[in-house]
Amino acid sequence: MLEVNDIVTAYGKIEALKGVDLAVSQGQVTCLLGPNGAGKTTLMMTIAGILRPKRGSIRFNGQDIAGKPARMIVEQGIVLVPENRLVFRDMTVEENLMAGAFSRSDGKTVQSDLEAMYERFPHLQERSTQYAGTLSGGEQQMLAISRALMARPRLLLMDEPSLGLAPLIVEDIFRIIRELNDEGMTVFVVEQNARMALQVADHFYLIEQGKVVFDGTPGEMEEDEVIKRAYLGKKI
Amino acid sequence: MDDHLIQVLSNIGMITFIALSAYVLLLTGEISFGQQAFFAISAYASGIATAMWGWSFWLGLLWGAGVAGFAAFLLAWPTLRMRGLYFAIGTLAFAEMVRLIFEVFHYQIEIDGEMVGPNGSEGFRGIRYIFENNISEFQYMMIIYALLASVLVFLFAIERTRVGAIFRMLGEDELLAEMQGVNRTYYKVMATVIAGLIAGIGGALFAHMNTYVEPKIFNVMLGVHSLAYGLIGGLGTALGPLIGVSLDIGLLESTRMFTGYRMVVFGGLVAILLIFRPRGLLDEEAVHAIRSAWRRKTPSTRQQSEIDAPD
Amino acid sequence: MVDFVQNTLDGFFIGSSYALLAIGFTLIFGVMRRLNLSYGPSIMLGVFAGTMIYIQLEAGLVFVACATVLGAVLAGIYVERICFWAVGRGAVLASMVSSFAIWMQLEELVTIFFPERTYAFPPLGDFSLEFGPFFIRGAHLVMFLCAAVLTVLLHLLLYKTRFGLALRAVSENPLAAKFMGINTGLVVFSAFALASAIGGVAGFLIASADQQITPLFGLWATFKGLIAMTLGGMGSIPGAIAGGLLLGIIEAQSTWYLGAEYRDLVAYFVLFAFLVFRPGGLFGQRLATQNRLSMQRV
Repeated sequence: MLEVNDIVTAYGKIEALKGVDLAVSQGQVTCLLGPNGAGKTTLMMTIAGILRPKRGSIRFNGQDIAGKPARMIVEQGIVLVPENRLVFRDMTVEENLMAGAFSRSDGKTVQSDLEAMYERFPHLQERSTQYAGTLSGGEQQMLAISRALMARPRLLLMDEPSLGLAPLIVEDIFRIIRELNDEGMTVFVVEQNARMALQVADHFYLIEQGKVVFDGTPGEMEEDEVIKRAYLGKKI
Repeated sequence: MDDHLIQVLSNIGMITFIALSAYVLLLTGEISFGQQAFFAISAYASGIATAMWGWSFWLGLLWGAGVAGFAAFLLAWPTLRMRGLYFAIGTLAFAEMVRLIFEVFHYQIEIDGEMVGPNGSEGFRGIRYIFENNISEFQYMMIIYALLASVLVFLFAIERTRVGAIFRMLGEDELLAEMQGVNRTYYKVMATVIAGLIAGIGGALFAHMNTYVEPKIFNVMLGVHSLAYGLIGGLGTALGPLIGVSLDIGLLESTRMFTGYRMVVFGGLVAILLIFRPRGLLDEEAVHAIRSAWRRKTPSTRQQSEIDAPD
Repeated sequence: MVDFVQNTLDGFFIGSSYALLAIGFTLIFGVMRRLNLSYGPSIMLGVFAGTMIYIQLEAGLVFVACATVLGAVLAGIYVERICFWAVGRGAVLASMVSSFAIWMQLEELVTIFFPERTYAFPPLGDFSLEFGPFFIRGAHLVMFLCAAVLTVLLHLLLYKTRFGLALRAVSENPLAAKFMGINTGLVVFSAFALASAIGGVAGFLIASADQQITPLFGLWATFKGLIAMTLGGMGSIPGAIAGGLLLGIIEAQSTWYLGAEYRDLVAYFVLFAFLVFRPGGLFGQRLATQNRLSMQRV
């Protein structure tokens, strides 16, 4: 579904991605693991159209989307749940969800999707008129996920969904990822929390210093080894 | 040299002081709309000293700059917590307060049957030390440039020391600088005082050349201009403000090029320049490139400059 | 006591025009986090466009108002393209200085075409009302009513429309807005045009209350708008309104009790005190702390 070929993204002269190749298959949960500064967020930003790659191609259902503006990528069906959630704190929960549906023009179905979101996340319905900034971290993460879903994505990108959240809430989030996947959603998750990620992943990649260094299914590498490398890289 | 040329060059020199003053703060990452306040304070203080108290010019200049530096020291504390745009507006408010206070400031004494001294919005006439002591306009211009050269040498020297590096570090990333143990308060206050002193020297020179100052000269337009000069000339070197002032006053005003349309042309050119060079003509990269080219040409100084300016 | 109330009333009505100026400023600041020094001068250009058709064609009030708003919007768009859109993303300082350069340009352009110092502007509401001991100028009342209607319309636009949702999203977090597929460049451009239109209305109201206009209006409008915005809290629309009214009242009271020469001094003093003790102004405290990092290196 998504094929990333030889992507190089740089900040000025420093290359954060040095030729990344990977693929996300339809209907699967794919995970990208790696230590801080390996280029995970850079890759997500490049796919989402925020950063322009210097080289390489990103094909989504056969179409090259590398370097296209973010709004066209959202219209193609790739939506990102950003790192640190980035909910609109000064807007209500409902306004956040409506903002999520901004790329869609079909007014009526947006309303029914909103109700579907409230059904899935009853907490959000209770707080629909509250400012998003008053929600707890876990609730904000739920809001960020449902806000992304409001765009009706075909591929959901998630950047560090467990960052800064309590273990119980992290479990919740991964349960939702599994649920979404069971309903047919293709998910591509970047994670630090390798243990949780490996439980939901159909396929995973390890990235270190801007390059993919391992590609396989969860059984193919010792779990402890994956965890070690996801946190520290292979040098240690 | 003809009189007109002397006058233009003197003006360039004096305005460069206030542009340099804004530049010092820009190095530390702060935009000031208010350096004209120190220019004004020193213009009045030095004028009072020479015209009313009978002090000599040099003593008056020292006193004026000193008072301006002290005012900067006082201002440094309340503005310490202001950042970015807040600092810019805070300094603007301060400078306008200073100007408006001079609008209502009356302090006059009778000298030779004539009232001398600041008279509110009427201004302050009779700062005649230069003429009474037969200093020619040419000589005065040389005084201006001698002082300007000393200030520039001082700033170049600072840039080569730890203090200069810390100023730029604060400008780039204050949090990072603090994490590395930089005493932010100390260096910010220091930069503000240096900036106040430099503007003060310019203000004293200005008052004595014009023999007359009035509050409205020191309005916010002067402050924003001086800020703009540094950015036009470039933030990479202390020569940047001088280049900016020379371009505006020297090239355009004095040659009467595009009479009547000067700002239409110049304003447009500056806007276009900033699109391509957002940190000015001589920005950090340009200065770096020139320095390395220079070093290659003179290998004998190579070792020395590598110690001074590590890459 | 009567004086105090009368001053407050006067200040309140004049403050409503400051509030409009501050709203325009705060909209631009909100979506861009940059300062547009050319805001006042582009309004001035619009006001002179209004004066021109008034003098040359003896056009009616409605046409003068339209010309003023249109002129302000066109000048605003010019400023946005040159000083903000074209200048690189990180270069906040360059944008500000560039907007200053364009200010100088606009001001000179106006003085070339209008070499006299002052020009007549059509009056608005040449009547007055009296309530017991209190007195209200008609022009001020009209000014206040227009400002109030415009504020309500703006509120509806921001809170009831798709564009308003996008504008608020971009103001709050441009990156997150991009993730939602919002065309942030277009939103910024539209916000700029909207702010210029609001500024144009403010310019029209102020000029017709004064019944004259000078090229100094640009400087005046930029700094009144800036002070009012800061008093209320940068980036907050309710703050802009409150800041504008507060500034009007401070000016009216200090003129009455201390004299006209102390009016601006008191206003700047209050501004400075706010910046020291409450940098977020009346309504923007949270915004000020939240954006601390982004405000740090301008």
